[in-house]
Amino acid sequence: MKISLSWLREHLRTDKSASEIARILTDAGLEVGAIESTGVAIPKVVAARILESVQHPNADRLSVCKVDDGSGAPRQIVCGAKNYKVGDIVPLAQPGAVMPGDFKIKVGKLRGVESEGMMCSSKELGLGEGADGLLILSPETRVGTPLSELFPAEEVFEIEITPNRPDWLGHHGVAREAAAFGCGELIGITSPPVAAKENPAVASISAPEAASLYSIRRIDGVKVGTSPEWLRKRLESVGLRSINNIVDVTNFVMLETAQPLHAFDAAKIDGALTVRFANHGESFTALDGKEYTLSVKDPVIADTKGAQAVAGITGGIVSGVSESTISLLLESAVFEPSVIRRSIRNLGISTDSSYRFERGVDARGALDASTRATALIVELAGGTPAPELIIAGSPNASRILALRGDSVRSLLGITIDDTAIETLLTKLGLKKVEAGFEIPSWRNDLTREIDLIEEVARLQGIGNIPSLVRGIPSHSSEADRSYDFARGLRRRLAGMGFHEARSGTLTGSLRQADFSTGAVVTVRNPMGEEHSTLRASLIPGLLEAVTRNLRHGATAVRLFEIGRVYRQEEPQERTFAGFLLTGRSLPENWRGEGSRPLDLFDLKGILEALGDCTREITFRPATHARLPLALEIVIAGKPAGILGLLSLADTREATVGGHQGGLVVAELDLALLQEAVGTAFKEASRFGALPKFPAVRRDLALLLDTSISYSAVEHAVLGAKEELLSGITPFDVFSDPKGEKVPAGKKSLAIALTFLHPDRTLTAVEVNDALTRIVARLREAAGAEIRG
Amino acid sequence: MENQLAQLGVRIESLRIEALSAVAEASDAVGLKEARIRFLGKTGSVSLLSEGMRNLSKEERPVMGKLLNELRDAVTTALDSKESALTAQADAAALALIDLSLPGTGPEVGSLHPLTLLVDRAVQIFRRLGFSIADGPDIETEWHCFDALNTPADHPARNEQDTFYLPDGRLLRTHTSSIQIRTMVANPPPIRIIAPGAAYRRDEVDATHLAQFTQMEGLYVAPGVSLADLKGTIEFFFLELFGPGTEIRFRPHFFPFTEPSYEIDLRTEALGGKWMELAGCGMVDPAVFEEVNKKRGDSVYDSEKVSGFAFGFGLDRLAMNLTGVPDIRMLTENDLRFLSRFTA
Repeated sequence: MKISLSWLREHLRTDKSASEIARILTDAGLEVGAIESTGVAIPKVVAARILESVQHPNADRLSVCKVDDGSGAPRQIVCGAKNYKVGDIVPLAQPGAVMPGDFKIKVGKLRGVESEGMMCSSKELGLGEGADGLLILSPETRVGTPLSELFPAEEVFEIEITPNRPDWLGHHGVAREAAAFGCGELIGITSPPVAAKENPAVASISAPEAASLYSIRRIDGVKVGTSPEWLRKRLESVGLRSINNIVDVTNFVMLETAQPLHAFDAAKIDGALTVRFANHGESFTALDGKEYTLSVKDPVIADTKGAQAVAGITGGIVSGVSESTISLLLESAVFEPSVIRRSIRNLGISTDSSYRFERGVDARGALDASTRATALIVELAGGTPAPELIIAGSPNASRILALRGDSVRSLLGITIDDTAIETLLTKLGLKKVEAGFEIPSWRNDLTREIDLIEEVARLQGIGNIPSLVRGIPSHSSEADRSYDFARGLRRRLAGMGFHEARSGTLTGSLRQADFSTGAVVTVRNPMGEEHSTLRASLIPGLLEAVTRNLRHGATAVRLFEIGRVYRQEEPQERTFAGFLLTGRSLPENWRGEGSRPLDLFDLKGILEALGDCTREITFRPATHARLPLALEIVIAGKPAGILGLLSLADTREATVGGHQGGLVVAELDLALLQEAVGTAFKEASRFGALPKFPAVRRDLALLLDTSISYSAVEHAVLGAKEELLSGITPFDVFSDPKGEKVPAGKKSLAIALTFLHPDRTLTAVEVNDALTRIVARLREAAGAEIRG
Repeated sequence: MENQLAQLGVRIESLRIEALSAVAEASDAVGLKEARIRFLGKTGSVSLLSEGMRNLSKEERPVMGKLLNELRDAVTTALDSKESALTAQADAAALALIDLSLPGTGPEVGSLHPLTLLVDRAVQIFRRLGFSIADGPDIETEWHCFDALNTPADHPARNEQDTFYLPDGRLLRTHTSSIQIRTMVANPPPIRIIAPGAAYRRDEVDATHLAQFTQMEGLYVAPGVSLADLKGTIEFFFLELFGPGTEIRFRPHFFPFTEPSYEIDLRTEALGGKWMELAGCGMVDPAVFEEVNKKRGDSVYDSEKVSGFAFGFGLDRLAMNLTGVPDIRMLTENDLRFLSRFTA
C-alpha cells in the first residue's frame, strides 16, 4: 500500500520528518518498507528554451546550443542528445546544481567549447527511466520555471498492511494510528450531515448474509470530465490512473477513508438496486469488458434487468459512468468479508475495492464516505445531490469487550495498573464503559480480550516489556535421539573425507523411477515437471552433484546426504543416508604413493564401519535395474538399503572424459541403523577384561576355483568351530588369466588366522592341531588346496 | 716380584693409551665395534692382560685387580660415549635430509553443509535453554497446517498459487508451525520444543527464493508464560548465535496463530551490518489452543490456565548471508568448491 506523505499530512498535524514518521509507523506495526521519492527536489534546474543548435567543431556527436533560461542572457550549452528541435523547452541544470549521485554542475569546456550547464533527461533528474534523450517539456511551460514546481517533490511510503487492519488501507486511518502513537494530531474529515432514510424502491438488501448496510445517494446534473490536476496528482502519486472526475473521486475517497465506493449511471438502472446472490449461470460483463458466468455464491447488485455489479468486487460495463452520464447513483456499502472472499476466489477477480471488502470496512464510516464523496463530486462535477441518503440495513451495534487487568499483566509479563491500560486504549479511540471497552467502528479486528491485550502491548512498546529467560527444561525426545544419531553420523562421515550434500526434495519424476522402492508421491500443482515429485531416493540428487563437480575439475568426489525420502506406502517419510564415491583414492602427493580409483569396496568398508563394533551391517547379493554390481544392505537382519556400482553407460553419462573409475552409490534407512547401533551404551558394547595372553597368527595361502567366494571360505573356516580361533582376515587375492602364476580357472587367496585363549598362553601344538582341522575343513567344504 | 708388578703396571698404562686413542680414532659404528672386540672381547687385549693375574701373589692380586678394573671401566666408558656420539651424529645426518617445508599429507577431510552447521548451532543454543526437539511430516493435512493454526479456509495462503497440494488433498507444509500442533495434540503441557525442518512455498526459484526451505520452529507452553519470556528467549538466542553487539528489533505484526505477534529484525556485523528481517514470533493465540483441545477431546490447553509463545525463522537466507553466497541456489547445488570451505 502506497501512502503519500503530503496526503498524510492533510490528515495529521505533525512536525515530524518522513523518516521519523516512518519509524513511528513501523513501531506501531505498519512496516514502512521503503520511502520512495518522486518529483524533482534539485534547486537550480529550470525550464529553458533552445534558441539554436549547431554542430560541435571538435566532436561529431555533440552539438552546441544557445538556450534561454529566463536569466536574461542566453547560455551556451554543449549537448549530446538528438531528440530535440530548436524551440523546444527542456530542463536545464544551471551551474551549482547538484544532480543525483552528488554530481555537481560547473561551467567547463567540453572538447574545447565552453558549456554553462547541462540539459537533462528524465533519468538524469531522477524522474524514472523515460525515453532516451532530453525531457521535452510542454510548450506552454514558462521559461525559467523551476523543475521542482513542475514536478513537485513527493515522498511515498511503501507500507506492508497486515490483513487484520483494513482500517489502515486509507490515508486517514494511517494518520489516526500515527496520532495514537504520538506522531501528532489527527485532522478530522468534516462533511455536511445528511439525513438517511429507507426506501426499498431505491435500495434494498435481499441477501442479508452478503451485506449489512447498503446506501445510495443520487446526484443529478453532473458533468463528467477530466479531474483537476491536484486530484490527478494525488492518485498518480500512489500509483492510480486518473479516469474521470467521478471515478477519481470514488477512488480518492477510498484511498482516504478505506471505504470503496461505486457510481452507477442512473440512466442505465431500472428500478431499485438490490443486494442479492446471482442466479445460477447469470452472465455479467465487468467494467474491464470481461464476461463472467456467475454462480449462486456470487453477491451482486441487481436492478430489474439483472446484475449491474458484483458486490464489492467490480462494477458492470453497462451501468458504469461514461461521458454521457448525467445522473449518478453513488453506492457505499458494508459487504460481508467471507462472502466477498469466496466470490473473489470463484471469479478470480481482485480489485482495490474487493481487497478492502474482503478484509472488512468501517460500518459507520461507510455513510460518512458517501457524504464526503458527494461533496467532492458536487465540487468537481457540479450537480445536485438528493437531500437524503437512501439506506438499507443498518450498521452493526457497537461492541463492548471486557478486559481484565490481570490478564494483561500476566500475558505480557509487565506491571501496569488498570488506569494506565485505560489511558493507552483510549488513544486508539476505545471508550471505557462499565462492562469494558467500547470498540470503535473501524476496528472489526477487536473481538476478544486477547485482541485488547495485543493493543496494550503495541502501545506500551516492546521496549517497555522486560526480557526474561525462564522455563523448565524438557526431557529429550525420540526426535532428539534421531537428531543426535544423525549428527554423530554426519560428523564421522565428514571425518572420513565425505562432504555433506543437501539437495532439493522436489525433483523430476523420471529421475526417481529406478531408485525408488515404492510408488512415488507427486504434487498436484508443481512448478514444472522438474519439480513435480517428492524424491524417493537420495541417489539421483547425488548423481546430479557428481556431474557438476567433475565438470568443475574435481578428481575425487565423496558425497553423503542425510535427508527425507517419500513414497505412497507407510511409512511415507523416512530418513535415509545416501552415499556417492568416485575418483582417486588419494590426493596427489610428493611421496609418490600410488593412488587408485575408488571402488565398491571402499564404500562397503565405510558402511561396515558405520555398524561400529556391533557388526550389525551385512550384505547380500542383489539385482538392481541401474546397478550391475549390487549388494543389499542388511541391518540386524532387515533389508535396509542398497550398495552398488553404476553401469558403465550411466557412469559415462554422469562423468566427464578421462575420469578414472566407476561411480559407487549406496543408501540406507537411518532409523534401522539407529535402532541397531543405538545412540547410547547397550549390551553389545559392554566390555569384559582385556585379553592378558598374546594371540598367535597363522597364515594360509589357498588355491581355489574362481567360483568359490571369500564368504564360502570364511564359512568353511568358521564351520570347523575351533574355539581358539578369534579372527580371520584376507590379505591377498589374485588370479592370472594367462595361467602363469596361478592355473587358469583358479585363484589364490591368502588368509591370516588368529588364535587366542583367554586364560593362558597357547602352545604351538594346539594351534597347529587347530590349523590342521581348519585346513581339512577348507579342503572338504571349499575344495581348497594349500599353496607353498 | 716387585718388578713383575711394575711391569704389569706399565703394560696397563700403555694399553690404556692405546685403547683410548683407538676409540678416538674410530670414525663409524663398524670401527667402534672392532675396537670394542679388540680390547674388551674374550680374546681382547684387556682380557688377555687379566690372565696375567694368575702369576701374581695373593698380596699383589687385589692391587693389580683394581688397576685392571679401572682400565676396563675407562675403556668401556670411552667406547660407550663414543658410540652415543656416533649415533647422535648419524641421527642428525638422517634428519638433515628431511625437507620440513614439504606440505603435510594428512587424510582428506570432508565437510558439513553450512545449513547443517547453522541448524546445529541453533539447536545447541536452544538445548541450553532446555528445549527438546520435535518433529513432524513434510506431507501435512490442511488441518494441521492451517485450520488448527487459526487460518480459515478462505485465507489467501491456502490457495493453489502459494501452496503445493497432493492429489489426495494433503499438502506440503508451508511452515514448520504444523509441528506445534502435532506436539500439543500428542502431549499435555508443559511443552518446550524446537523443530527444525523443511517447508515449502510455491515460489518461483531465483537467486533469493527456493520452493523448499529450512525453518526452525519453537514453542513453549506452560502456566504463566509471558511476552517477556518470549522477548528474553529470542534475545538470548540471537545474542548467543551472533555474539554481543547484535541489535534485535521487534516489530508488531500479524499472524493468525499468535497474538500479539511480532516480526524480528536483526542487525549484526556477521550479516553485513544491515537490518534484516529474520523471524516471526508471538504469544500463542487462544484459538489455536481451542482447536488443539477439540482434537484432543479434553481441555488441558485452557488459555485461562496456560499460555505460550511460538517463533519461527528461516535458515536458508540466514545461511546465505552468513556465508556470503550471492545466490541461494548454491545451497542446494552441492558444489565441492563451496562445500569444502565448511569444516565439521
